[in-house]
Amino acid sequence: QFVPSNPPPPRRPLAYAEQHESDEEKQFRKVFQQLAGDDMEVSPSELMNILNRIITKHGDLKTDGFSIESCRSMVAVMDSDSTGKLGFHEFKYLWDNIKKWQAVYKNYDADHSGVIDASELPDAFRAAGFPLSDQIFKMIIRRYCDENGNMDFDNYIGCLVRLDAMCRAFNTLDKDKNGTIKVNIKEWLQLTMYS
Amino acid sequence: MYPSGGISATIYTNRLRAEGMGSKEQAVAFANQDYEALKQQCVESGCLFEDPCFPAEPPSLGFKELAPYSSKTRDVEWMRPTELTGDPQFIIGGATRTDICQGALGDCWLLAAIASLTLNEKLLHRVVPHGQSFQDDYAGIFHFQFWQFGEWVDVVIDDRLPVKDGELMFVHSAEGNEFWSALMEKAYAKLNGSYEALSGGSTTEGFEDFTGGVSEMYELRRAPKDLYRIIGKALDRGSLLGCSIDITSAFDMEAVTFKKLVKGHAYSVTGLKEVEFRGKIERLIRIRNPWGQVEWTGAWSDNSPEWSEIDPSEREDLHLKMEDGEFWMSFAEFMRQFSRLEICNLTPDVLSDDALSHWNTMKFYGTWRKGSTAGGCRNHPNTFWINPQYKITLLEEDDDPEDDEVACSFLVALMQKDRRRYRRHGQDMHTIGFALYEIPDEHRGCQNVHLKKNFFLSSASCARSDTFINLREVSTRLRLPPGEYIIVPSTFEPGKEADFVLRVFTEKQSETQELDDEISADLGEDEEITEDDIDDSFKSMFAQLAGEDMEISICELRTILNRVISRHKDLKTDGFSMESCRTMVNLMDKDGSARLGLVEFQILWNKIRKWLIIFRQFDLDKSGAMSSYEMRLAVEAAGFKLNNTLHQILVARYAENEMIDFDNFICCLVKLEAMFRSFKHFDKEESGVAEMNLTEWLYMTMCG
Repeated sequence: QFVPSNPPPPRRPLAYAEQHESDEEKQFRKVFQQLAGDDMEVSPSELMNILNRIITKHGDLKTDGFSIESCRSMVAVMDSDSTGKLGFHEFKYLWDNIKKWQAVYKNYDADHSGVIDASELPDAFRAAGFPLSDQIFKMIIRRYCDENGNMDFDNYIGCLVRLDAMCRAFNTLDKDKNGTIKVNIKEWLQLTMYS
Repeated sequence: MYPSGGISATIYTNRLRAEGMGSKEQAVAFANQDYEALKQQCVESGCLFEDPCFPAEPPSLGFKELAPYSSKTRDVEWMRPTELTGDPQFIIGGATRTDICQGALGDCWLLAAIASLTLNEKLLHRVVPHGQSFQDDYAGIFHFQFWQFGEWVDVVIDDRLPVKDGELMFVHSAEGNEFWSALMEKAYAKLNGSYEALSGGSTTEGFEDFTGGVSEMYELRRAPKDLYRIIGKALDRGSLLGCSIDITSAFDMEAVTFKKLVKGHAYSVTGLKEVEFRGKIERLIRIRNPWGQVEWTGAWSDNSPEWSEIDPSEREDLHLKMEDGEFWMSFAEFMRQFSRLEICNLTPDVLSDDALSHWNTMKFYGTWRKGSTAGGCRNHPNTFWINPQYKITLLEEDDDPEDDEVACSFLVALMQKDRRRYRRHGQDMHTIGFALYEIPDEHRGCQNVHLKKNFFLSSASCARSDTFINLREVSTRLRLPPGEYIIVPSTFEPGKEADFVLRVFTEKQSETQELDDEISADLGEDEEITEDDIDDSFKSMFAQLAGEDMEISICELRTILNRVISRHKDLKTDGFSMESCRTMVNLMDKDGSARLGLVEFQILWNKIRKWLIIFRQFDLDKSGAMSSYEMRLAVEAAGFKLNNTLHQILVARYAENEMIDFDNFICCLVKLEAMFRSFKHFDKEESGVAEMNLTEWLYMTMCG
């Protein structure tokens, strides 16, 4: 029922990846190299610095800044080899989504309050590619909005990154597409503890 | 191969692997390219295949010497065999050693390996699948299969080959119109990123990538006495053999000796023969130079006088007159002239019809992660025990009549996967090795044990890899009495991250398994607390904190917790964040209010108090934070038995610079307990499997 964006491409040898990427990717790789530092991987604190630097440029987004905890969680849901860091493609995927979702956020903040309120949220999430049931929207509003039912920008991004990852995870594991997944305790803990 | 990022991708891969993906019968499609489907498309549309993943463009050639715009790549054109010659053939009269002549690339190691491969048709056709040609259904598309870190990979290519001055730049056949070797080189180059990536390597790597076998290396100066017999047995068994002469300086590279042997160059060993010569038995060895020329000129070389002194019929059989790179020399001379010999032993799945030479193979995929499983070697007693541990049970002794020692022969091979990000720093390999320990009596027969620090402090290893070395693979042949052992693979220094494949080959039946803690939680009964059980002082504290609504919000919880921990100066923490308080509230909240009532708060409070005691107890160095290996013990003391993978995940998720501070410790345990409970909730029949639909899944995973 939901429409996830294309997953990040498979990991390939570095030499291979670097030589066969599009101009857009080449541009982005330059930026990435600056952000990621010597180890060529983005850690949660690097991610936090990057995100917080960006939101200062957007005065119309209300946020109290990305916390290290929410950045850890974002890295965790994107990371497939449990290094605690993001490689180039994982980061680019995250980046493209954040850009896309930021545009949605601005679009659906109908009253220009800088936050998405509970009434604006379902439409915004649908536009972001997640046509969920009312039941799930209610749960998300309860869990992620503040006392007044408002969701600020960092919570919005944190929530969507997680939602996207969890929907993709479900799709991945639902191999026969029958609408249910089966996991054993080891897989369950891997999936839930690393998120 | 990975459908998406995140841990689910890893789980998905593991599941496919368990179903046989990556085996010879189910090779993994490299870059998700399906040969049959792509070929079908091309045949139907009448177009020749053009591979978007390895385009006929300069970057596919190389990055340094063969970089775009370099002198070596100037005027390179990409041409299909059909444009190069009127009558291109895939294979003429079966693959032969002369099909492989080296081009403008330092990949003699690879060519030596391909040459050895041609000696065994069955092996060759695993790599070069049957049924490919330039005649039937030709669509410009070909495919080859290689073994990569434990899995068979199917690589699709188009047949546009780099050509300079009308000649193939790289591998070509002596015949000039036979193309399987050039296409195979292209496929291997694609797998490795570019042609230039193939420059410089060891024959062993080529051997293993073509067969999935396991290699041994012999220094000829220190070779075992029965090396002639070992080589003979290896050739009989269809093993692949390579030899080379060491160089003493870079200046020596490809230097040619007085008698025309090339230093720092990979040769393949292709035959062995005893002949009668001057009344004695003379042992001869046949060697091939992958250049297809430059041959040994000493005794027993192509035109040497020794040949005239042996039985004419034998001479007829053996004598090589052609300048084809292949030559004989005496075995004694071989031992003097060459420095090393590499033998690649084949696994049973390669040679299924050869019952005699079966090795039993066991394979494990593992990882070393900083702070959780990268413990370093025995020199680091504090962390050595956190390395992954694998158990092997040697059941039967060898039947070797010449030997009355009761022992089992086996071979342990530890291969590190190249961690792509280290490549660009020129240090793609870690220094790796392994040690074996006899399992102590109290753990014998157990399925799940992870031996701890004290065991390793008081016990010596019973076998080890020869050295710790920075090669892709370390392998050692061992002999031990029947019994139970653990293998501990490690990097030399702690904290070095890599993925690895550990393979154990035994001549006789044996069992292996990862020694890993079983996953379970001692949760106790869900605390049944009612308001009446809560004492008045706690109630009045709660009333003060919660305010009028008598519920604690995320924000209030944060204030409370931070006030409490500020009183405990010994605890290191940067305070509980809103995020972590949200997680805790969401996990503890039973009624869906997103707030904690009196009872819910009391339960959380009790847990925190209990875990505070554990935190202090296991913070052995009183640093106020938990090192990641203290964490492993603390989690266990709190009643959770996890395996390596999960300990790894906890560290990746909750540690900062390998330390876990108090707030992260509490969040981790709250979540761990909640997740064990929710699993139980979904697995009511205790079948070990939880089933859920998307709504249930999102309810569980979006909360905490």
